[in-house]
Amino acid sequence: MITKGPADELNHFKNSVAMTVTLISFGMMFSSLFLGYFLVRFNAPAWPPVEIENLPKLLPFLSTVVMGLSSWTFVLLERRTEKKALWSATFGLGVLFLVLQFLLWNSLAASGILASNGNVPSMVYAFTWLHAGHIVLALALVLWLGYLIFFRPTGLTDVKLINVGKFWHFLGVIWFLMYLMLFVL
Amino acid sequence: MAFVEQHIHDAPTSFWSKYVVSYDHKVIAKQFLWYALFWGLVGGLMSILIRWTLAYPGVPVPLIGNMLFPASGGVVPPDTYAMLFTLHGTIMIFFFITPLLIGCFGNYCIPLMIGARDMIFPTLNMLSFWFAMASGLVLFASLCIPLGGAAGGWTSYPTLSTNIGQPGAGQTMWLISLFLFGISSTMGAVNYITTVITLRAPGMGYFKMPLTIWGLWLTAILNAIFVPVLGAGLLLLTFDRVFGTTFFLAGAAATSGRGDPILFQHVFWIFGHPEVYILILPAWGIVSDLLSFFARKPAFGYKMTALSLSAITVLSTVVYGHHMYTTQMSPLLTQSFMTLTMLISIPSAIFFANWLGTIWKGSIQFHSPMLFSLGVVFVFGLGGLTGLYLASTSIDLYLHDTYFVVGHFHYTMAASVLLGGFAGVYFWMPKMFGRMMNETLAKWHFWLTMIGINGIFMGMMIVGYGGMHRRLYNPFIYEFLHKLIPINNFISYSAFFAAAAQILFIYNLFKTVFAKNYPAAGKNPWGVGTLEWEIDSPAPHYNFKDIPVVKCGPHEFGNPNLTTGRDYQYQTEELVKV
Ligand SMILES: [Cu+2]
Repeated sequence: MITKGPADELNHFKNSVAMTVTLISFGMMFSSLFLGYFLVRFNAPAWPPVEIENLPKLLPFLSTVVMGLSSWTFVLLERRTEKKALWSATFGLGVLFLVLQFLLWNSLAASGILASNGNVPSMVYAFTWLHAGHIVLALALVLWLGYLIFFRPTGLTDVKLINVGKFWHFLGVIWFLMYLMLFVL
Repeated sequence: MAFVEQHIHDAPTSFWSKYVVSYDHKVIAKQFLWYALFWGLVGGLMSILIRWTLAYPGVPVPLIGNMLFPASGGVVPPDTYAMLFTLHGTIMIFFFITPLLIGCFGNYCIPLMIGARDMIFPTLNMLSFWFAMASGLVLFASLCIPLGGAAGGWTSYPTLSTNIGQPGAGQTMWLISLFLFGISSTMGAVNYITTVITLRAPGMGYFKMPLTIWGLWLTAILNAIFVPVLGAGLLLLTFDRVFGTTFFLAGAAATSGRGDPILFQHVFWIFGHPEVYILILPAWGIVSDLLSFFARKPAFGYKMTALSLSAITVLSTVVYGHHMYTTQMSPLLTQSFMTLTMLISIPSAIFFANWLGTIWKGSIQFHSPMLFSLGVVFVFGLGGLTGLYLASTSIDLYLHDTYFVVGHFHYTMAASVLLGGFAGVYFWMPKMFGRMMNETLAKWHFWLTMIGINGIFMGMMIVGYGGMHRRLYNPFIYEFLHKLIPINNFISYSAFFAAAAQILFIYNLFKTVFAKNYPAAGKNPWGVGTLEWEIDSPAPHYNFKDIPVVKCGPHEFGNPNLTTGRDYQYQTEELVKV
């Protein structure tokens, strides 16, 4: 199914250069958000501020576990031959992550924490929105991999798997950082 | 170094696939050229309306006034004035200079000058243009809605750009438009960086690349790193306006919580200062090459020029605080930013001296691209030197937000980029369209433009030093500015003069591109040795039949031992020892 030859290696090289640049770009966008977070945090009189004393703890924790699991299944998807099962697991976990984010927003709103309630709620919402937006983009790419796996296995190459994988793991890392900043520390 | 195999596909035949959704870097370059020219006209017209208002406050604009501002009897109203200078800046930076220098010349020159058949990701390239198109449409639509377009300045600082400062959809559409443009720029940047790394022809080491490519490549790197920072700021501001978050809201603008308007300034200028270099680096690169080409001499200190451009690129990332001296920054920070900013003058002086070294004792041919390049040397010299004043904290506290700043940044990133862009258009026109532009008209265009823009920007620096603030609808309600009325009128007359001179360019361009039975330019009308001049004009589909093998640098001129009868060497020829 997957061929490795000199032409493939050349192809791999150009894609890994491009993917590195792309991830630097995305990374800079998220770093700008984190810069805002640190400015707010170090200028705050007390941490955590009153507005977020009762932030939900369980849902973001579950999201983190789901995200971690999906990264793991993606690594297996890149390495093992049971593509269909592993793809389904990854895609399912990705969708589950989005569902958990919706539940998180609902429970925030239910406990009276709205985006307009000040800096910290603004950050919780804006960061999770932006991250979820990127997850949607990444799921579209995963869906495309699924199309290849199920219907056009000849079109599936290592390069495609690895590059979508890099984006997926990258979003996992970003989520983990957000989780630490917003819900743990 | 040709890491990736490049296949030749058949040339597209239908109008749609040939000119609209083209994957060909040369066609996309031309799409960006027309896109830039359209927006350049819009942005230029806006500057004329601004200068009219300053020269004749309360007087209806002749000819188009009644059509554009019927409610006020043809006079530019104050809120529209704010919209005009906001969109003049936005359009000239993002929709004129960026598409012209990066979109057009980036696309056209990179594959041709490094010996590649196309960009490495042609589809991404096409998407990049269509994202820019979508962005332009959103911006244009924002001009046509009831409350009009954005009016918070091109920097769109909160609270001017929040819902309190800017009700209506115009500002939100501005944010969306720039976000789309950012996606386009980032896509372009990924493509350019990867293309230069992977598609250089065999033998084309980094230090054999023309300096044009150095400039464009460094620009692409800055774009990839810093445009996403602006993207984050734009998104957060959009959230503030649309979803009620409070990132940048404070005081009366915030119904609850406490955001920080200064935070936006940080994010904006972390992007904004590199943006200045994003705009100017391609022009510097083009000029560095053209000075050598038309002085018929090797570029003096080629390696040092390339390295100092790189050093400026690195330094440009750590100086942004000089835009924020008046925001109550700690003196420790202002002094650090001042020192770092001043450091930029070292690499700048190096490549500037190299430019002078290049033309020193050259056999200079004063063709139009050379005239425009020399123009860049002059205006960038003035702009760069006035930058030293503004970099110094104590002087900036007085000059901040005056017309001195306006004059300074127009000299550096408007005048020099504009002249560099014209130099590029005149120079590559034979390769792009297979026809030479009329040289007599081009030279007239140069001199008239040069007189006009120097009148404008020199005048601006003088009134700024006199204490006139920027962005005032009618500065002359202040008595202490009355003595500046004559020189303000002079600036406006210079602006009308410079604008009229552009008619020569537009006529020349359209005639060259569209006239029937126009004489064809040869392969190499300028006598230059870089790779694109060895192939036919206009460059054929897929550029090179065989990928060229590069054996010498781009500026091998005036070697007395040459036996070819030419005074230059092609990059594919073995270097003749001096
Ligand atoms: Cu700056």
